[in-house]
Amino acid sequence: MSSDLVAVVGFVALFALMLLRVPVGMAMGLVGVTGFGYLVGMGPALKMVGQTSMRTVTDWNFAVVPLFLLMGSFATTSGMSRELFRAANGFLGHLRGGLGIATIAACGGFAAICGSSVATAATFSRVAYPEMRRYGYPQSFATGVIAAGGTLGIMIPPSTVLAVYGLIAEQDIGKLFVAGIVPGILAVAMYMLTITAIGYARPGFLPAGPRISWTERLEGLRDVWATLLLFAFVIGGIYGGLFTATEAAGMGAGGAFLIGLARGKLSRPDILRSLLEATRTTAAVFTILIGAILFGYFLTITQTPQKVTEFLTGLGLGPYGILTLILLMYLVLGCLMDALAMIILTVPIIFPVIKQLGFDPIWFGVVIVMTVELGLIHPPVGMNIFVIKSVVEDAKISTIFYGVLPFILTDILRLIILIVFPVLALWLPSRM
Amino acid sequence: MAAGSEAAASGAGPARPRGRMDRFIDRIELIAAVFIGIVAADVFVTVILRYFGINIPDSYDFGQLLLGILIFWGIAATSYRGTHITVDILWANVGPRHKRMIDIFATLVLLFVVTVQTYTLFDKVVGTYNDNVLTFDLRLPTWPFFLVAWLGDVSAVLLIAVRTYRLIFHPEAMAEAAPDSRPFE
Repeated sequence: MSSDLVAVVGFVALFALMLLRVPVGMAMGLVGVTGFGYLVGMGPALKMVGQTSMRTVTDWNFAVVPLFLLMGSFATTSGMSRELFRAANGFLGHLRGGLGIATIAACGGFAAICGSSVATAATFSRVAYPEMRRYGYPQSFATGVIAAGGTLGIMIPPSTVLAVYGLIAEQDIGKLFVAGIVPGILAVAMYMLTITAIGYARPGFLPAGPRISWTERLEGLRDVWATLLLFAFVIGGIYGGLFTATEAAGMGAGGAFLIGLARGKLSRPDILRSLLEATRTTAAVFTILIGAILFGYFLTITQTPQKVTEFLTGLGLGPYGILTLILLMYLVLGCLMDALAMIILTVPIIFPVIKQLGFDPIWFGVVIVMTVELGLIHPPVGMNIFVIKSVVEDAKISTIFYGVLPFILTDILRLIILIVFPVLALWLPSRM
Repeated sequence: MAAGSEAAASGAGPARPRGRMDRFIDRIELIAAVFIGIVAADVFVTVILRYFGINIPDSYDFGQLLLGILIFWGIAATSYRGTHITVDILWANVGPRHKRMIDIFATLVLLFVVTVQTYTLFDKVVGTYNDNVLTFDLRLPTWPFFLVAWLGDVSAVLLIAVRTYRLIFHPEAMAEAAPDSRPFE
């Protein structure tokens, strides 16, 4: 068999194994090693398994993932989301659609200390959903807002998915995080505008909440110091060159832990739960990372990235035509796979194409995260949708998908804006 | 998409009380969880002390080696609980019988892959011992850390074997194995 045919067979086998629910990382590892063994010899292929597995799990750069996960876990457990919602609601709740706007603001704030979309969506399903329903918001809208707000978790730094992109594409994670700030703020602003527009287009659909006194507002604001401090500490530390991304993650985890303890919001079971949650996710993520690196050897030996680059650049579509094609592929893949798996599987193949086309790798990181983030809310996989469904049990999946539709359109518009104006992502990192 | 409590969905019977095996797996997970705490504390203290001109000897090496240990022990628990990141689109759209067949197939593949990995990792442990690889500052041998990490992988093989057995013969035992957690994305 030629190496081209082996590559094709390898990809078919990979997708077949994944469809049969073999863990994504294990499927990548199995296909990668088997394919490499077929072309080079089973001896070197097996040697590669032990070497690569140990090297990956002891790679200090990769420590950024568990440490940021731990920081997010402590932040979630210590109830910072509730304080953020209370503060945002105090200032915005009395507007038309105000509770929805406050939910988005609080999701944005929470995303700044928790790099997880799923955690953000799950948390606000408990915190914001009952409030929105109490004020008569339709179930579709209330769940849709939370699903969309949840996606801010991977957009606004620190973001686990952005960090993994940085590791795979060998890009500066600190710069990637800083690049995500303006697009993240843009996302918050556009979601808020969407809610306002819906509120004005359909009067009575999104009733305003009660106006709260300034004393209460300021009291609510007083509670969010912990979130602000943590965000400023972590991202400020990276931006100011005080520590590396891995150190920032460790400092963030330590900081979230100490703040939680000092405020009496972390009991012993809470600490244990946070550690366990971070451990479980770390294990799942590293399984994919090990598999992806083993699969990467297979890609190298079959020269798949070079051939894909040649094929795509030979289509004569121009850089933006090819970019559109790539992003459409991600949207389709988003129907099948989750964001992290998609990034790890495809970036080694797509990244050389992006470099060849002359696009900025930092900017592309933000674009790709924004694109895969759509997969979290669009059918049929839509991880955030299922997470909300698991909390709001009486909501139908179709109801949540209906509610999130306006936000999908907003996301697509935001993606176009970022492609047209790369400076939105690149200005801040250029100042570092 | 993350695996959930698949056994419940694959037609498992009523939940059983948590047995010795479940408690054993809880302990394994706890070991990994403690290590993640230690790694975070290591980074936090190292960075703080750096600003006072104090360096903890081998903090970097220890961090790396503990990371390896926590991940392999974490993978052991994750593999048993079935909380790896998987593509569920086919599984979610078939009946309970097919769901169970898919789960058994996936677990058998997992068992095969992790067994091969464990076998090949042992070479790495032996190689580190033979090469007398030492930490940078304290000149401590690193092979014991690699050995502990490898033992995590050995536990993974054993736990996946137990999972396979339970999925085939006692699917109800897997119903409460998966914790209420999903990967952070």
